[in-house]
Amino acid sequence: MDRECVSLLPRVCEVLAASGSSLPDDTSLEKLLDWFTEVTKAGTSLLESCPCLLEFISSVVRNTTLDPSILSFTLRLTGLVAVTEDAFTVLQQSSVLDLVFNLQHWQEAGLWEDPCIRIGWIQGLRTMMQHPKALGFFVQADFLKPLLQLQTDKSLFVASAANQMLAHVLLSCQSVSSVESNGVDEEGEDVGRSSGSIADLEYPAITVETNQDYAAVVTAISECLKKSLVPRKNSQLHQSLQILKLLALLLAQTRAPLWEKLLQMVADSVDELLAAGYSQLVLPLMDVILAAHSSCDANRRVTDQRVSRLLSFMLNIRKPADLIQAAAAFLRRGRHDLVHTAQSARVLLLPLDIITGLNLLTTTADEQQFSMVEQLKNKTSCISMICVCLTNTPQITLTAADCLPCPPVLIVTAVLSLLRLCSGDFSSSSSSSSSCRDVSRNIIGSSKVQKCALEALIALSGSPGVEVKLPEVVTLLVQYLDNPHSDPTVLHKSYQALVRWMSVCSDLSSITDQHRQDLLQVATKRSCDIRWEVRDSTVEFLGRLAGVSVVQTTAEEVSDASVALLGGCCFTTPLLRAALQDPESYVRASAISALAQTLAASWQQGAALTQEHTEIVNQLLEVLSRDTEGFARRAVVRYFIAWLSSRSSHSSPPPLASSSLLMPSVRSVLSRGSADLDWEVKVHTLELAELLLHEAFSGQRGYMKGNPTQTHPYAVIPDTLHTRTHNEEDVVGELNSLVQWGVVSVLLSGLVDCDRPVALRACRLLMTLREVVCPLSLGALDATAAMAMVAKVTCELPGCGWAREIRKMLATKAKDAERGCSVGEVVDCDDCGEAGQEAASVGGQTPCVSVCEVLRSLDLDERLDVLTRSSDHVHNSPFSLLQDILTASSAHSQPDTQQEVIVDCY
Amino acid sequence: MPEINVTPLGAGQDVGRSCILVSIGGKNIMLDCGMHMGYNDDRRFPDFSYITQNGRLTDFLDCVIISHFHLDHCGALPYMSEMVGYDGPIYMTHPTKAICPILLEDFRKITVDKKGETNFFTSQMIKDCMKKVVPLNLHQTVQVDDELEIKAYYAGHVLGAAMVHIKVGSESVVYTVSRNKHAATAWIDKCRPDILISESTYATTIRDSKRCRERDFLKKVHESIERGGKVLIPVFALGRAQELCILLETFWERMNLKAPIYFSTGLTEKANHYYKLFITWTNQKIRKTFVQRNMFEFKHIKAFDRSYADNPGPMLIGKFKRQCSVIMPGYCVQGTIGHKILNGQRKLEMEGRATLDVKLQVEYMSFSAHADAKGIMQLIRMAEPRNMLLVHGEAVKMEFLKGKIEQEFNCYMPANGETATITTNPSVPVDISLSLLKREMALGGSLPDPKKPRTMHGTLIMKENSLKLVSSEQALKELGLNEHQLRFTCRVQLQDPHSDPDTLHRIYTHLKSVLKGYTIQHLPDGTVMVESIVIKVSSSAEDSNAKVLLLSWSYQDEDLGSFLSTLLKKGLPSGLC
Repeated sequence: MDRECVSLLPRVCEVLAASGSSLPDDTSLEKLLDWFTEVTKAGTSLLESCPCLLEFISSVVRNTTLDPSILSFTLRLTGLVAVTEDAFTVLQQSSVLDLVFNLQHWQEAGLWEDPCIRIGWIQGLRTMMQHPKALGFFVQADFLKPLLQLQTDKSLFVASAANQMLAHVLLSCQSVSSVESNGVDEEGEDVGRSSGSIADLEYPAITVETNQDYAAVVTAISECLKKSLVPRKNSQLHQSLQILKLLALLLAQTRAPLWEKLLQMVADSVDELLAAGYSQLVLPLMDVILAAHSSCDANRRVTDQRVSRLLSFMLNIRKPADLIQAAAAFLRRGRHDLVHTAQSARVLLLPLDIITGLNLLTTTADEQQFSMVEQLKNKTSCISMICVCLTNTPQITLTAADCLPCPPVLIVTAVLSLLRLCSGDFSSSSSSSSSCRDVSRNIIGSSKVQKCALEALIALSGSPGVEVKLPEVVTLLVQYLDNPHSDPTVLHKSYQALVRWMSVCSDLSSITDQHRQDLLQVATKRSCDIRWEVRDSTVEFLGRLAGVSVVQTTAEEVSDASVALLGGCCFTTPLLRAALQDPESYVRASAISALAQTLAASWQQGAALTQEHTEIVNQLLEVLSRDTEGFARRAVVRYFIAWLSSRSSHSSPPPLASSSLLMPSVRSVLSRGSADLDWEVKVHTLELAELLLHEAFSGQRGYMKGNPTQTHPYAVIPDTLHTRTHNEEDVVGELNSLVQWGVVSVLLSGLVDCDRPVALRACRLLMTLREVVCPLSLGALDATAAMAMVAKVTCELPGCGWAREIRKMLATKAKDAERGCSVGEVVDCDDCGEAGQEAASVGGQTPCVSVCEVLRSLDLDERLDVLTRSSDHVHNSPFSLLQDILTASSAHSQPDTQQEVIVDCY
Repeated sequence: MPEINVTPLGAGQDVGRSCILVSIGGKNIMLDCGMHMGYNDDRRFPDFSYITQNGRLTDFLDCVIISHFHLDHCGALPYMSEMVGYDGPIYMTHPTKAICPILLEDFRKITVDKKGETNFFTSQMIKDCMKKVVPLNLHQTVQVDDELEIKAYYAGHVLGAAMVHIKVGSESVVYTVSRNKHAATAWIDKCRPDILISESTYATTIRDSKRCRERDFLKKVHESIERGGKVLIPVFALGRAQELCILLETFWERMNLKAPIYFSTGLTEKANHYYKLFITWTNQKIRKTFVQRNMFEFKHIKAFDRSYADNPGPMLIGKFKRQCSVIMPGYCVQGTIGHKILNGQRKLEMEGRATLDVKLQVEYMSFSAHADAKGIMQLIRMAEPRNMLLVHGEAVKMEFLKGKIEQEFNCYMPANGETATITTNPSVPVDISLSLLKREMALGGSLPDPKKPRTMHGTLIMKENSLKLVSSEQALKELGLNEHQLRFTCRVQLQDPHSDPDTLHRIYTHLKSVLKGYTIQHLPDGTVMVESIVIKVSSSAEDSNAKVLLLSWSYQDEDLGSFLSTLLKKGLPSGLC
């Protein structure tokens, strides 16, 4: 623990124990507790390092007039202090512990009503319960009773904390019993004695007496569960809900024999609860049954059958809405047995079967069908049930083929048919009865159902044998895109579905010219929509489509979906270029990304430059220097990153024409991007610089792509990194071109940038560069000798902005060095050797410095250390927190000198 | 009884993140989805796992409504929609939708850029979240689904801030954010909601007149620049920045001051653009001025460039000397330099153990645009709610206001995680068929009078969410059903040494004497009828004296039937012939 903090702590304790009102900032206490937790986790005993805490706790706990937030803090702190057995004993001997957790004490003071006291009590106990002494304390003080009462507390937070706590108690007792029954567990003994740990422990050396106590706790808990599970009246449903939550938690975590005991105790109550048929309890009940079901294997067969019977009961509930919930919950859990899976799948497909009139299920019980139809006639429940079914459709198709009542392709047909009904198209509906038509009417125009159905369609695209549906899917989605009533979110999902189906069904031979024409029309129309959300989704769609490769039958030729569906660049590029002028910056940014995706293919194929391409590049450079919004400018830099990296990945040398446009553009992107106001533009610019760095030095000795600091000093460096032998001439040549492209300037300007991620990235890249051109491991003199030519490569440091900062840093370093032994060398353009930087600037010329010298003199490692820390680490430190509490309290106690600070947030 | 449940996940008895869950008429609505400024970890966002354990918020929530663009009301939105996963509708007004992403981007910048957090929502997530937002117009009723409707009203506070009226059937809730002085022009229908949920940040105070505070502020600024000093005003709340800009601009104009006023570029500049754009959404005074000029077109206030900082002379920003001052127009959370300055620390520790002395004058003036007790009472008078629920305020201060309000109605102030349950008594409208009304009147009833409720008999039909009371014949006709009569039967054993027809006659005579005024018939088919009750006699095979009486009646004559069976069980009087 920091010595400075320890010295401030006694005063802070005094202030907290004395203040009549709450602290002006309610987060201070939470943060203080965070710090104490951290210290404890690091293995430091709080009581030993801060003895003042004992006095603090004992004085606060006796002063019930204090603010409840401080009392709650103290309860939690006590638990944290008592986490080790030694500290626990000290607290108990000083009789603090009994008072702190004495319920009567808080009740008499009228404070128990405050939820923050209750939660403090629970959390304090919970933290403390890591050793047998604490468990013994809990049992002897008979805390079980209040804890059971708190399970149904009116505060969600308190009830949930009490839930967790009770599970913890039970699991602790379970560990005790298992230790007892298995004899002394050597490992457990070791862990139990390491008093610093706050991990859950297994308790050794339990006497028969205490073991009986624990058995009593287990029995009391199970009795209580059994008793409180079934509500006597409707108003007690909340209680059942809480108990079910607890039970689910317990059944998932406990092992035999406790698991079995618990289940046997509550099984009858669960049966009773099932029979009562409370809709609100369906999901929690299902959670309990599934928790039991998933741990069945590890336990006995008899209970297994019982759980299986409960499950069957749940999947046969009469109320259709509840039944669907139960089936969906079952499928979501993922661990399936065939019978129940098939049953759940049938349940979830039934509403689709009814509404669409498609025969998804060959046979259905008439009674079930009838009650489902009746329920579906109510619009609200129809929509909610259909949505649950659709959301879980993917789970249905994931199940084994023999569980499916119909092939996936039929499910796709049903979803398509449903989507048609949603838009009011009844022409293809095969439902004949009037009641089914009534039901279908309920979903017309519901964007909620539409969204769910489109999601389902997306998920179904991967199912086997559904490719045949592609033309139908495309037709429908185009209709949706064309529909003037479609909600922007529905349009967005339709686009997503289209892209997804394109990427899954790579064979587009079934797509007709009519499809293409319709899609072209609709995309053109939507790219001029009045709502920016729709325009953005359209533009995003155009880009994503270009990233999907498909096969067109004619020549087995692989192309992207954009070419196959929309005719490629000749259609999309003009649309996207128009979108560059969009008033909404989000759309402009999406257009730029989409352009990059559209042109990626031509870059990779090394296609010759077109006039249009040149125009786009000019337009983008214009955006980079003029656009007022960061999004668009970020996208421009990313565009060039994509272009440059596609060129690097291209095996054959790039055509000259492409390079002739790319490299000068990259150069101006580097200079404009690094001078941008937006930090992300700058970070992207550095990424571009990194690509160039990689291109120049990949394979060169010392070059490590990515973060140099992340590599372990003793890590084995892959051989590939040494394949290219060290060649100084190469290095000089590459370094010179990097300087010329402005990469070095970008890195240096980034290093002194006020945006932290920019400086951090630049610092890492400079370190990478340093490792290649002048590794520190060689030592200054060796390096100079070995790389005399490299040392002569210079870069400019103009007298303003970032360069001035760098010069200042170099000058400081030089001064330091003067005092020491070696002197940092600064050279000017005329290679004037010894001449200092001052002289150069006095001379009015832009001074040049040796890149190597700069890299060696900048203390990059030290800088990296600072930059990896958060910018608010000073003001967010525990010391700063303690100081703030002290200052706030003194300001508070002298209201005359300082005006009252009202915590008003906004 | 139907009830409305309100559970704050945040802003219950505190001023942190606002996030209030309302369950009304089977619908679940989330009001605001804010973040807490004071935390750097998950605690800054509401814990949605309390709502649904399986994390499927879309299944649970019907909609999310955002009251205004401040981060303590919308900061957790992209986290909720894109990281936790919510795909349903999100509602906010047009200006809020325009300004919200600016603030969220700024929040992201601080978190990712300055604090270096990596697991945080991205710009793409902010955009995707905003694409799910449905913009609201004022006074326009929006149908979320068939049952749930919402309507937004002007609320003052900041640009685009709204009060929302949420209605399901005949139950309704009004949620209002902090209202400031502009709220005087705000208006809400006398909608008599079941609950009015209101913020209560300044619940205790009838605040000193805003004008005094403004005068004080201008005086302090003026004094400082008169001394040749510079004034720095770090405004972190959008809206307040614009308010102060207008204040300074007008003062400069009036006093003919020459010192330049700068505002930092970026956030405020972008927001100013929207303030100009959405001028029709601001208060009356600003709108009136708009005829001559747009109040957000500032003459004296210019965007600031870093290089200006060293310029000599007085200005509202720059390099600071002793005569300079900093005015904090709002609270800063712990863990910031602002917090330290606000609490009067004179030495600040900086990076690398360096310390800075705070030499300039520090002033704190709360310009927070929240409602005081007076504003809340005014709103109550306007909307006439049945119950009141207070959020977004400190517990102690809320108690004060609660006491004040409770003299008139129930007032709730649930803590975070606590549920306030309000039982409602919704009136359910039922249509009555004309023929039924006519029949009732023909039976001597008076014309329907709302002041004199009375019982009416008929069949209640529920069709397409509406209720109708009709005569049973009409109901049968409408539903295409056949009428079925339900009859009760009962056996009574009797010792009577006569033949069966004689016993029947004796029964007839007995009933004639007991039941005066009833229609009693001895029918030739060997039965006796009393109203709809049929009585038959048969004797047992073994004992001809042991008679079995069969009684049968329709449910309308249930009382008479029971009476007869009890009467006959007692046997027949001996004197009958």
